Amino acid sequence: MALIRLQGVTKEYRKRKVLENVNLTIEEGDIFGVIGQSGSGKTTLLNLIAGFIEPTDGQVIYFPEGSTKEKDLHRHFSQIKKHIGYTPQHNSLYPKLTVQENLWHFGRLYKIDKQTLSTNIRNLLNFTHLIDYRNFLAEQLSGGMQKRLDLSCSLVHKPRLLILDEPTADLDPILQREIAHLLQEVNKQGVTIIIASHHLESIENICNKVAIVHQGKVHTHGLLEDVRRPYLRDHFTIRVRSTEQKQLLIEKLKVLPIHKIIDKGHSLVIYPSNVESIMSNLIRIIKEENLYLHDLDLRRPSLHEIFEKIATSTESEGQVK
Amino acid sequence: MAAIWLLTVKNIKLLLRAKWSALIVIFAPLLLILLLGLSYNTSDNFGIIVGVYAPQFTEETNAFTDLLRTEQFTIREYHEDVQKCVDDIKGGTVHTCISLPEQLHVQDNTQKEIVFYVDPSRINLVWMVQETVKSKFNIKAQEITQELTQDILSKISETQSQLSAQEANLGTAKEKASTAGQSTSTIVQDLKTIDFQIPERSANFSGNISEAGSDLTERLTNTKEKLTDASTAVKKAGLEEAEEEEIIKAIAGGINTISSLLDSGAGELLISLQKDLTVVTDKLSTASSVVSSSTGTLTASAADLEQVSASLESAKSAVSEMQAKLGSLKVTDAQTITSPLVTKIEKVSGEKTYLNYLFPALLVLVIMFSTLLLGTTLVLLEKHSPAFLRNFFVPVSKFTFITSTYVTNIILIITQIIVILGISLFFIDDALGSLASVALILFIGASVFTFIGMIIGYLFTSEETATLASISIGSVFLLFSGIILPLEAVPPFIRGIAGFNPFVLTEKLVREVFLFGTPLSQNLLDLGILAGYAVVLFIAIWIMESVLHKHLVQRFMHRHHVFHRQREKQLKNI
Repeated sequence: MALIRLQGVTKEYRKRKVLENVNLTIEEGDIFGVIGQSGSGKTTLLNLIAGFIEPTDGQVIYFPEGSTKEKDLHRHFSQIKKHIGYTPQHNSLYPKLTVQENLWHFGRLYKIDKQTLSTNIRNLLNFTHLIDYRNFLAEQLSGGMQKRLDLSCSLVHKPRLLILDEPTADLDPILQREIAHLLQEVNKQGVTIIIASHHLESIENICNKVAIVHQGKVHTHGLLEDVRRPYLRDHFTIRVRSTEQKQLLIEKLKVLPIHKIIDKGHSLVIYPSNVESIMSNLIRIIKEENLYLHDLDLRRPSLHEIFEKIATSTESEGQVK
Repeated sequence: MAAIWLLTVKNIKLLLRAKWSALIVIFAPLLLILLLGLSYNTSDNFGIIVGVYAPQFTEETNAFTDLLRTEQFTIREYHEDVQKCVDDIKGGTVHTCISLPEQLHVQDNTQKEIVFYVDPSRINLVWMVQETVKSKFNIKAQEITQELTQDILSKISETQSQLSAQEANLGTAKEKASTAGQSTSTIVQDLKTIDFQIPERSANFSGNISEAGSDLTERLTNTKEKLTDASTAVKKAGLEEAEEEEIIKAIAGGINTISSLLDSGAGELLISLQKDLTVVTDKLSTASSVVSSSTGTLTASAADLEQVSASLESAKSAVSEMQAKLGSLKVTDAQTITSPLVTKIEKVSGEKTYLNYLFPALLVLVIMFSTLLLGTTLVLLEKHSPAFLRNFFVPVSKFTFITSTYVTNIILIITQIIVILGISLFFIDDALGSLASVALILFIGASVFTFIGMIIGYLFTSEETATLASISIGSVFLLFSGIILPLEAVPPFIRGIAGFNPFVLTEKLVREVFLFGTPLSQNLLDLGILAGYAVVLFIAIWIMESVLHKHLVQRFMHRHHVFHRQREKQLKNI
């Protein structure tokens, strides 16, 4: 079920198009990643969804819970905003308030009754492992703790949609993983998440859908697999222990729909007609012939590779033009 | 050198490109100076309203008020009661009151008292007005002294000329008296020559005297006979023996006298008498001529003396006249002549310390700057707070946000007001009665300044610029309040505008309530204007917040976004 839909959204600043004709849908339960280089327009896209800025052209549509009646997000923002949680790139909290005070403050502003809020806060503190630090001033917390507190502040009112701008920026890899795990846990509780980041690896790890923004345009978007598909490689490389095993494998593979096999000495480069269908047969052969698989390079293209390809192709298009 | 120039150019560029900073740092002080310069570039006392009370406005008092008008004071005349004028000072519609006597000219040795009624809480104005008005009084007093002295001098001069005139008369009189004196001496000498010695009885009788003597002898003989007959007759009369004896004795005595006369030769006596008479006749003749001569001299002397008398009479009347003239000088006291007009200063608020007079202004000053800066700081604190963005999503109206900032400010200021007013009770004895009203005024005034401070906070981005803007605004309010420079010295148009300065309104209200004990009900208009300001400013902030909020959020995000991008680049470079 759709939660947010962008229809032909264009944003201009001083007659300069920052974002052009964006059409995408974010469904309920998604962890939607927006990736792109700095200055690509991903923050603008996020700000449009968050309601900070209005599109120059087009529409951002919000689908209310339990209702089929769609609403223009910017026109009805005052009603919709309470369903949105936003965690900006920097921490958005009061450094001079304690962990609990920060949560209590924002919770009360959302008009949550004291008892419910108290329960929410306790759950959040347990969830984010901040329970022991509840009486610490926010400024006394470490970077990772502050990020967790910030996330808690965004979740204290139980939003439908959580928007995060560079949630893992400035964090070390361990903290990045910790936050990623936390977001997945949040998502499991039914919160739709939109993340803008240029840390493609973390996006790849936690998002089920992505949109790749480059030079103000959304080049591709959708399920991660669907995004990858056009960029999947047409070959894979395999290396077995001995030459005998290699020859045996060549013999066995010849009966399968394979365009060509190149023997590179230690390894074989195989060009099948369909990588996915050949893979099950390959595993079966290895199992039946009891081959010792030394290495199988069946890498799907990473988001980074996809992104690089998009960037390269856009640049070459630009040069041709 | 080139590096210095390069850096200087860079600094100027940065300053000018940060528009608000440039505006505030460079142009605000210039603007302030320009405003003040334009406003106070005058030496005229444009706006001073002087109330003049006199029991009767005579030509003299009118002349004095005209004199004040030459100083461009606006004169407001009070005919009924000086208290009305005093009340107007308290109300701020009149700056000083002058109570004049019916006549400014002194009639006797009593000095005329002129009473100034001043509001001591407006010290700078009081002195300015007092000095100017006093100088006019000094001119008037000088005029009166001059007239008095002139009067005395003219009378002395007249006396002097009269004396000069009488001096000639007296000279003539002196001469005449001298001449009369000489004549008298002559007469005395002449009279001394008159011989009044009676000549000794001469034996030579003239024929007539002989005849007279014979006749006398005959008559004496006859008398003797008759006396003898009388003695006989007495004896025959049979009188008492004693009486008879006494009468006969007397008659006998007479007879004896006559007999002795007859015996001594009475005729010869007469002859002697004749001779003596001749001598006397001669002497008298001589005396007669002397007297005749003296009479002439005396007649002349009498004439001289008459002239002397006339001169003296004239001198006497002149002296009387001079006496009368000098007697007509009623002002003879030197102090009255030198200072015919004395001024007395009455304070409309009663005798208090300088702290009392300064207290309202100080109080409002503290409140104004505190609230302006606090309002600005609170808004900027929120604007620059990392949590600013999160507030964009909370379902809280802008009204609530603005009100919360205002309430925060007001709580702090109320605390401050309580402390200040509490402390004031130790210094100012009679402050207790007006505390409630003063607190209300300060509350409304503080609200106005808080909202102004908040507007500045919304308009400016950097804390330094906003603080400078707040101080500049506060300074403008202060400089156009009459606390430092009298507002009465600026042209009426600017004064009219400055009259609506919230600082002026608040300070005026506090002063009236605190110093004069004026009930708030008499100042509802000013209080209403202040409250109106507060409401209008609140609405302005509301509108501003509605218009600017999204812009502020975007700026906020942009700022942080740029910051993070720069940081990422730095990290990459490392």
